[in-house]
Amino acid sequence: MDLPTIISITENSIDLDQFLTQVTSPSTGAAAMFTGMVRGETKLGKAHETEYLDYEAYGPMAEAKMQQIADEIRQKWPSVEGIVIVQRIGRLFPKTPTVLIICTAAHRDTGVFEAAHYGIDRLKDIVPIWKKEVGPDGEFWIEGHHIQRSGE
Amino acid sequence: MNKIKVYLFATLRDYAGLKTIDMEIPNNTTIAGLKSLLVKTYPKLAPVHDSMMAAINREYASDEQILPLGAEIALFPPVSGG
Repeated sequence: MDLPTIISITENSIDLDQFLTQVTSPSTGAAAMFTGMVRGETKLGKAHETEYLDYEAYGPMAEAKMQQIADEIRQKWPSVEGIVIVQRIGRLFPKTPTVLIICTAAHRDTGVFEAAHYGIDRLKDIVPIWKKEVGPDGEFWIEGHHIQRSGE
Repeated sequence: MNKIKVYLFATLRDYAGLKTIDMEIPNNTTIAGLKSLLVKTYPKLAPVHDSMMAAINREYASDEQILPLGAEIALFPPVSGG
């Protein structure tokens, strides 16, 4: 059986429909999609406004780690058919999708929600991508909370 | 001597003012040794000396790992993609 895996670091806009089509096969009956976007107004914690985010990636390692995440998803949820993991980089403005995770399967109760959730959490933990936030208060690099360790 | 290439990202690149550094270092230098060497050469990196992550040939590496000959090294702050 054909099990498509699509991994991409791109400067182009993320076409949600097009990626979904690429991981939909005749046996697919369910897709869990997660997309994150630039938040222009943050209300939780320290309330602030964001003008834009500048994303950068260590391309070759980022793609290798995204492939590793897809492999981990297939090990944990063997019923997952198609996987999409996309990160957009460059200068991204509020309301713009920055990241996309899709997991498809024959049925919804076979782990697709959990698989997509795992995918985005893992991407934030181990894929070498960074973002600088620019707003009315100046610019600063955002640092993740996870410490990457050897073997991850 | 070991000829390596070091890639810097995010805050580290801003502090050092460089994207890549070609270096010749003694054989059997560890990641910890490399970090100290870099902070000596680029004192502006001192504030992030203890928090920088490292990768050897595109895999995460710990401080005690030895740099292989001709390695591709990357140093960066904790990742923040998504």
